[in-house]
Amino acid sequence: MDFLAEGLRRALALLLSGDPEVLGIALLTLKVAVVATIVACGIGLPLGYLLATRRFWGRRAALTAVNTALAFPTVVVGLLVFGLLSRRGPLGGLGWLYTWQAIVIGDVLLALPIAAALSAAAVQGVDPRVRRTAQTLGASRWLTAWTVAREARFALAAVITAAFGQVVAEIGAAMMLGGNIRGSTRTLTTAVALYTSQGDFGLALALGVMLIAIALVVNVALQVLQGKGSG
Amino acid sequence: MVELRGVRHRYDGRLVLNLDHFAVPTGALLAVVGHNGSGKSTLLRLLALLEAPTEGAVLWDGAPLPRHPPSALRRRVTLVEQRPILLRGSVRDNLGFGLRLRGIGRTTVDRQVETVADQFGLTSLLERRRHELSDGEVQRVAVARAIAVRPDVLLLDEPASSADRAAAGALYRALAAERASRPFAVCIASHQLEDAYRWADDIRALAEGRLSPVTPENLFRVELPPGSGETKHARVGAIDIAVATDRTGPVVLAVPPTDIFVSREPLPSSARNVLTGRVTRLATHRPGGGVVAVTADVGVELVAIVTAEAARELALAPDAPVVFSFKASAVRVF
Repeated sequence: MDFLAEGLRRALALLLSGDPEVLGIALLTLKVAVVATIVACGIGLPLGYLLATRRFWGRRAALTAVNTALAFPTVVVGLLVFGLLSRRGPLGGLGWLYTWQAIVIGDVLLALPIAAALSAAAVQGVDPRVRRTAQTLGASRWLTAWTVAREARFALAAVITAAFGQVVAEIGAAMMLGGNIRGSTRTLTTAVALYTSQGDFGLALALGVMLIAIALVVNVALQVLQGKGSG
Repeated sequence: MVELRGVRHRYDGRLVLNLDHFAVPTGALLAVVGHNGSGKSTLLRLLALLEAPTEGAVLWDGAPLPRHPPSALRRRVTLVEQRPILLRGSVRDNLGFGLRLRGIGRTTVDRQVETVADQFGLTSLLERRRHELSDGEVQRVAVARAIAVRPDVLLLDEPASSADRAAAGALYRALAAERASRPFAVCIASHQLEDAYRWADDIRALAEGRLSPVTPENLFRVELPPGSGETKHARVGAIDIAVATDRTGPVVLAVPPTDIFVSREPLPSSARNVLTGRVTRLATHRPGGGVVAVTADVGVELVAIVTAEAARELALAPDAPVVFSFKASAVRVF
């Protein structure tokens, strides 16, 4: 148990000292997670709305596909994107492999099914009369969707939180696509794995605490926003 | 005017509405009566352009509409559902919702909201939220919210089902005041015949998705006695009407005017209902003659349709004695 106590002491010291390397890793993690969450939710929430409200051929199959994608292993997604971005892959020309953009692509693919499947469930949970009321009072398609989204705001905030939680804590794709390059693509999760394997528990623990702190801050911020929008 | 022509509407292959023609003329208040599941709500959703009919056409001022009507046209018709829902926000936000969608400025929205709130007795509730209102109040807000956008066609599905008698009266009076201020079409689906009689210009009866050939005069709300006998007797005003039905409890009886035999003397026949009385009114039903609507007081007021020739041969005239006969199986039960 001594190493744990020692680790926590070092974690606290590191956090208080404002180590530039640790700060850089935290900022990169935040950047990747925020960009990936915005992109995944930007696509996933409208997709979930369409899956929940439109009747079209293949809708059931699409819902099944999205729900199945929820269980995709992160390393498999990492492998697929690796294949796409590698020099001989179809997107090799972009030169994104081992950059933060590659991690974002992997994270988006992992968070997109969460955003789509959970938002479809959230919208399905809204009383169908809300949609009909907005329509009959003259709302366009966009305004109808916006009205429904306002009614489902708590569930949709939870969807965004879940998507953020997925990308911020993800390690498989980040390791394979980013390469855990110091000062470039090292995120909190890949750094924790690296320092643990090197036996530097203090640093690994400090970074783990930081990861939890980021998740906590984002969740509190979302809750505050929900509170302001209640009523 | 909004019309349905040759409409057959199905849900999962089941025919729920089968109407050759149905129209809501501008300026009219039309009531559609019928029991639960008769197709009233489906009819209103089609008229509201929220659904397109499986077969047939919806016409606006005589022109057929595409399956997805333009939003400018959709904004001219508004539906209040049977159990309406208020959107997020206060009563004021709800009353202004449709107006804001139309890009109307805040000052004008506020003024119109105050006006409609006053009209429907909602001024004291303006800052309340949906969970602070009773079902009847929610219904009143929903009707006011629909009126606020000044639709050309207003469709109300059981608008007073959650209101007590006084509140229902207030709602209908507010609606009448609005109709007095501008011409617009109103179609109300209701099972409350008293309201339909009192406020509607015309009544249509729906049964199993079809229009029933009855006039409002021949509709009666009665209590059928229990029992499974083949013929039941329902008390209507001062008379008993024999009805062939298994139904019991509160129902609406409809006697199709074309199913009533008119004579001067009681005739031996299979008719279980033979009612004597006096003619109170004669009206040519169609311009150019053809058929005559004979209204008689036979203990209750009933209307029968006969040909002009038959009316002449029977020498029907106001105050003349008359006998109305109809079979127990001709009486429709809703």
